Amino acid sequence: MCARCGGPLAPELDLFAALGLARRLVVEPTELERRYHDLGRRIHPDRFASSSAAVKEASLQGTALLTRAYRVLRDPMSRGLYWLELHGEKLADNNKQVPAELAALVFEVQEQLAELREAQDRSASEPLAEAIRAWRAEVQAAMEQAREELGANFASWDEGRAEAANLLPNLKATLAKIAYLRTLLRDIDRELEPPVLSG
Amino acid sequence: MAYSSKVLSHYTNPRNVGSFAKDEAGVGTGIVGAPECGDVMKLQLKIRDDGVIEDARFKTFGCGSAIASSSYVTELVKGKKIEEALAIKNSLIVQELSLPPVKIHCSVLAEDAIKAAIADWQKRKGEKSADKKEQAA
Repeated sequence: MCARCGGPLAPELDLFAALGLARRLVVEPTELERRYHDLGRRIHPDRFASSSAAVKEASLQGTALLTRAYRVLRDPMSRGLYWLELHGEKLADNNKQVPAELAALVFEVQEQLAELREAQDRSASEPLAEAIRAWRAEVQAAMEQAREELGANFASWDEGRAEAANLLPNLKATLAKIAYLRTLLRDIDRELEPPVLSG
Repeated sequence: MAYSSKVLSHYTNPRNVGSFAKDEAGVGTGIVGAPECGDVMKLQLKIRDDGVIEDARFKTFGCGSAIASSSYVTELVKGKKIEEALAIKNSLIVQELSLPPVKIHCSVLAEDAIKAAIADWQKRKGEKSADKKEQAA
């Protein structure tokens, strides 16, 4: 919304600005929530029901922008992808290398998943399913590590060390790693029974 | 999404699935990924010393188009010289398999896999001849 008149703004803003945030990669989740809900209330179309058509339209567009900004910036992965976009970069450009260790993990787990998929008798394949559950923990740990790397990369950007520390290629590589691990986790979970939620 | 019949044929009956031993003579291995969707593709080429591709194997864990693209290129490169294989453009794969725009990155992945496999073969060949020279010296 506009700081001067309090009215909703046109949607050609960057998504950080849409939430009144500085263009920084480290985002405090509670701060993001607070701004989203606060601004959302203030430019809500209900408040402008008796305003001019232009203001109504601006309120609708502003609300849509706000929601998009919240969704994109809330998740570190999509925030990182948006950061690439702001820098005129595409995730896949010059970024097809899969680290050898990660590739080995992907192929090992996928082979076992294929084996499990083809198993006729699910009860006899329980040891295999058990092995895959153990792999899942490993993939999850690798994912957590990649997310930590992403967090460290974000912090370095905010410290203004983009050039020196090669942060852009590093960001692309880390986001790609997360994408491979995410796909692998998805495939594992598709094959294993959905976990029983307790408590 | 509706897949073309050629994609379905390569997907339901993929050609040349499997692997060669990585350290086998004449084998080049290319592992590439599509970070947009998280698919990973491994393409291996068995290349003669005169640069003709004798055989190919692939392993792709991904969507139908990624599997079909890799299956298709394994057929395409067999019997080709590496220069010819390097000249294969993803647009050819798109055209042959009638891939829709959202699946074009699968064809790019296959093109990149060929390049990576050949680069690996060249690197290993270079290392081998360097070893020989060392032994000779």
